[in-house]
Amino acid sequence: MKQQRGKLGIREYVSIAIMMVGLKATEETPARLYNMAQNAAWMIPLLSAVFFFIPLFLLIKTMSLFKGENLFYVVQKLLGRYFGFFVCLVIFVLSSFAFSFDTRDYSNIIRAFYFNTTPLLVLFAILMTICAYGAKKGIQHIGSVSYLIIFYVIISFIVALLLSTQDSNIQALLPIWGAGKLAILKQSSQRISMFAEFFMLTMLVPYLKSNKEFRKGTWIAYFCVSIQTSVATLFFICLMDQSLGGMGYPFHTTIRYISLGSYIPNIEIFFFVIWIMGVFIRFAAFLYIIALMFGHIFKIKDFEYLIPLLATLYLLIGNMPNNPIEVAQELKPLIGTISGPVFSAIALLLWLSALLKGEFKHAKNKNSM
Amino acid sequence: MKKSFLKPLRNLFKTEPQFYEQSNQQRIHLKEQDISSHYEQNLETFKSIFSIPKNFDVKIHDFTIRALNRRAFLLYISTMVDLEQIRKNIFGPLIESNQPIREIQEIVTFPIERTSTQIGEITETITSGFTALIIDGDPQCYLFGTSKVQGRSIEKSDNEVIVRGAKEAFNEKLVDNISLIRKKIKNENLIIEAHVVSKRSRNDVLIVYEQDLVNDELLKTIKDKLESLNTDSIIDLSILEQYLEERPRSLFPTILNTERPDRAVSFIEEGHIILLMSNSPNCLVLPATFWALFHSPEDHYLRTPYGNFIRLLRFMALFISMFSSSFYIAITNYHVGMIPPDLLMAMAGTRERVPFPSIIEILMMELAFELIREAGLRVPSPIGPTIGIVGALILGQAAVQANIISPIVIIVIALSGLSSFIISDTSMNFAIRLCRFLFIFAAGFMGIYGMGALMVLGLFYLVSIKSFGVPYFAPMTPHFSSGRDLIIRPVPMNQRLRPGYLKPKDMVKQRKD
Amino acid sequence: MQKTRTVCKFLLIVVIAFSLTGCWDREEMEDKSYVIGLGIDRSYHKGKIKVTMLLANPEVGSQQGGGGSTEKPREIVSFDANDIIAAKVTANSVVSRIISYDLLKIIVVSEEFAKDPKFYNILNDVVFDKEIRMNAYLAVSKEKAAKYFLKNKPRMETRPHKYFQYMIDHGIENGLIPDSTLFRFFKTTDGGADLFLAMNTSAVREKHPKFKGEDEYFAGQLNASGEFDDTQFIGSAVFRNGVMIGKLTGQETSMVNILDDTTNMSDFFLDIPNPFPGKRKSFAVRVIKKENNQVKMDLKGSRPKIFISIPLKFEIMSNPSRIDFAKRKNQEVLKKQIASHFKTELEKFLKKTQKELKGAPYPLSFYARKYFGTNQEFEKFNWTKSYLKAEISVYPEVEIIDFGKSPKKNLKVEK
Repeated sequence: MKQQRGKLGIREYVSIAIMMVGLKATEETPARLYNMAQNAAWMIPLLSAVFFFIPLFLLIKTMSLFKGENLFYVVQKLLGRYFGFFVCLVIFVLSSFAFSFDTRDYSNIIRAFYFNTTPLLVLFAILMTICAYGAKKGIQHIGSVSYLIIFYVIISFIVALLLSTQDSNIQALLPIWGAGKLAILKQSSQRISMFAEFFMLTMLVPYLKSNKEFRKGTWIAYFCVSIQTSVATLFFICLMDQSLGGMGYPFHTTIRYISLGSYIPNIEIFFFVIWIMGVFIRFAAFLYIIALMFGHIFKIKDFEYLIPLLATLYLLIGNMPNNPIEVAQELKPLIGTISGPVFSAIALLLWLSALLKGEFKHAKNKNSM
Repeated sequence: MKKSFLKPLRNLFKTEPQFYEQSNQQRIHLKEQDISSHYEQNLETFKSIFSIPKNFDVKIHDFTIRALNRRAFLLYISTMVDLEQIRKNIFGPLIESNQPIREIQEIVTFPIERTSTQIGEITETITSGFTALIIDGDPQCYLFGTSKVQGRSIEKSDNEVIVRGAKEAFNEKLVDNISLIRKKIKNENLIIEAHVVSKRSRNDVLIVYEQDLVNDELLKTIKDKLESLNTDSIIDLSILEQYLEERPRSLFPTILNTERPDRAVSFIEEGHIILLMSNSPNCLVLPATFWALFHSPEDHYLRTPYGNFIRLLRFMALFISMFSSSFYIAITNYHVGMIPPDLLMAMAGTRERVPFPSIIEILMMELAFELIREAGLRVPSPIGPTIGIVGALILGQAAVQANIISPIVIIVIALSGLSSFIISDTSMNFAIRLCRFLFIFAAGFMGIYGMGALMVLGLFYLVSIKSFGVPYFAPMTPHFSSGRDLIIRPVPMNQRLRPGYLKPKDMVKQRKD
Repeated sequence: MQKTRTVCKFLLIVVIAFSLTGCWDREEMEDKSYVIGLGIDRSYHKGKIKVTMLLANPEVGSQQGGGGSTEKPREIVSFDANDIIAAKVTANSVVSRIISYDLLKIIVVSEEFAKDPKFYNILNDVVFDKEIRMNAYLAVSKEKAAKYFLKNKPRMETRPHKYFQYMIDHGIENGLIPDSTLFRFFKTTDGGADLFLAMNTSAVREKHPKFKGEDEYFAGQLNASGEFDDTQFIGSAVFRNGVMIGKLTGQETSMVNILDDTTNMSDFFLDIPNPFPGKRKSFAVRVIKKENNQVKMDLKGSRPKIFISIPLKFEIMSNPSRIDFAKRKNQEVLKKQIASHFKTELEKFLKKTQKELKGAPYPLSFYARKYFGTNQEFEKFNWTKSYLKAEISVYPEVEIIDFGKSPKKNLKVEK
């Protein structure tokens, strides 16, 4: 029993990863993609996945040199104490802001679609409380819960998409290149932040049994998520065509629209429950990772105790923007456009310094010995 | 920081009651001594220990052994021994035999269980139904295992009723219980270890396991835990259960309590450990996961498709009993659009004359249902069925007619109440019923969002529960190799492995040829 | 332990207090009045609209057996308001309960207001309301919407939501009215390339309607007699960019439904001119459309060419000339007749849309999209203009799956 404690199984890891990135298909991402590339928007997730594959691959390769160590350890080891500290701080701050604005954005969704007159702060605070509770339980338990419900999340998502085909038109995908091939390529490179969470997930390496398992899990999740986001966008385009651009949150519009015949006309609550459970888990994992970063930067061993504190802090930060539009249209894209390139740059930097320092050769020698 | 802040507050509430106790130092000292060589003194000692003649069923026979021509006395508690045996095989030969034999063993026709010299030990054995023979000039006391306690015979299982499979249940006699287990596992590796867990009433606990399966570390943990109990008396296994649990305040049980020997045996065969106790018609299975509590032996006895059907039914019942009333609240108070128009009209129409908000309505009915249920249990059995009818008819029909409750609420409550009966394990049943109330409040507070939040909170809590180191949802998550017998059961031929979370010495149940 | 207990007690109090106070979004369902139909008219006051609400009384017809209520099944309120969302509050000065759009089934707009450019702007508000769902229907009434609701007195389904549900569902199934949900309305209007059809309805019967062929009616023109409600759902109103520009008869609407693959019309009945000698001039067929149309386009030249082939299955329901369909020759004659009838009718209709309505009455532009690589090229092509010039040919693929009861014996003829 002892050796099992503290380790994250590959199933749990994959489900956390899918929750963290895959849920993006249910917020405003598809609509924003549509605005970028019109009806070719579904290609963007696939292409961005290809673009982000390179830095992620290099990062994981570099990480595999240091068996069972997390990202920040590797950063500080490779980039030196001071510069390493600075880089870690940048990553931490970026993800902190991403977290607060993301949670705010999701609270906005809940308020806009389901609880119009409830004060946002209440919804937001509940979200934060649950996430903090979950994060405090530790990543293993977050993993377990996400594994318990991942199938329901995926199944309900698929069912929602399939039901939407009743009124969709596949020809909405045409002309196939949408806004033009060049535009798609350009936009895809700008949307690599969609997969930025994978970069953060490398913090969890020590919790997995081996680097190999981490690598395997990451690629499985990466593949699933890029397909999922792409397929979701595709279905939304088919259903809504040009209305998609002006729509805030296509997933929620869809589940409000679909019905099971005229006798059970509205079924959005079933999807909402499962979705909201996924959201709680997503942010619990997110919060845990951020706390882990914080603990690592400032050398705090029992960082779990900081989680309620951090959650409160993020609640306050997230509560600062005045209106939902500011969050969805300005702050989130801002964080997105910064974090994508910065994270890939850091990944490249790490790989380069490892290469220059001869770590790869070193490791090879070690293995042959 | 938090602790230091709360400390003065806690001290304010902390009140240790003051009491005066009588010292029993003298008695303890006496018990530690050996029996004396003076016959008279021994007689006096035991008479005082057992308060003879005040204690009416403790018998002392003062007589002379003719064969040895020495005085001796027999001491036993008449209500706990087989008097016939004593008279015929011990008392009779001692008085009648006149051949000059020096050895007591050869005079009596009853096997001597053991001999002892310490007063305390002798006293303890007598209290569990032994007969003591003390002879003038003999430094030893002879003890005969003559105990014969009265009790129920083996009966049908009442609380865990199944259609197919063995019907017998544990009873209050340890010997019967052990033989029920022994006859199902005919293997010398089945170990039955006795432990005494309390100091004053000296309750025995039997640890039953298969030596070549059980994980030694787990066994040690459980033994240590039993060892560490420091209490005067544990009169029942269910109380021991509370002593053993890691989180006694938790809503969810972490130890399985069953009265079915076949179920106990199936757990022993997987490498679990069973605890038995005299006077308790059930046994404890450690460690227990959510699945162990959720399954019923019937699932395994029925053919695979039927077994899985009732499993799914039970799974559904679990959800219905937990969520139906809260879902009703959430939908009618927050998400009205979810209800099909016809139904919504009907519901709104009937609710128009009901004076209470729907959450009060639901709470009232839930409470009524729990009352009926509890009353039905406590009522003497001849009028039991009447209570059910009275409850259902009077409360349901009349409440609707009096416009206190809307009819749909009756349906919702009846459905959730009925479903809760399908969860057969008593503890799990309670857990679900209590959770239901939490969900009702959550739904009343924030509709479906509150329910979702509470659900995730509950899941986080559930996965963090451990039963003797085994996670609650193992082997589903965290993953362990196992027989894959979780929500859906495979055919028995494919359940090849024992559950990996127990780390049994022998993992494979059926080798592939 | 004391700590946990204090926390638990505190939590319990919070939970109970919160759950009983009825906070924020919580509303008891009998506290609400459900709007089933919403009428929008032009108001005499500037910048305002006239809103009519058809409210259902939940107490009527909901209880099985026993008493029932003597109340009326519905309530109708009309008043001037700025928009339909704010109207909810205004209505409360008349209606005793909170107005809710949760069960909104149909939005009726008077023809007069539908032709007003302001209309789209007003209707767009429904997107922002949490309660209105996009699967509510949009209908256009000949008279004022306020009058429409007042005149509409269903005899069989006293509960209004049931009446509209049945009326619309079966109308769409028969193909006489289009499937005009708000969702389709906004989707088509946002797309901009094609026309949108909303169902046409009227509760006022015309005094002396002309007799016309089968289904060639607008709403209100069908001359039925007997004891029934005057409301009729037939035909459709045509919208371009959110403004009504014309009307289609019931038959034309069912033609659109044949052409449009996105509606779920089930089988419907039709009269076809009788090709065989006999007294009766037409015979009845049941038209079944299971497969999608094949649309091919040649967009290269100055006049684009559009070829539409429509796979249709037929069941012959009547045989007025007592023809023996066991003979191949007769079958061929029949097939040809049906095909040419459909071809001429559809082509005639499509020509009418090009000339009169100046747009395709269903999302035909979708089929043109595949001939372009990017959106820019498609925009340059300018579908709206090109459609007007297009040469459209229709090829019905007739398959008769059942010739009905033959005069001599039952026989099914394979294709």
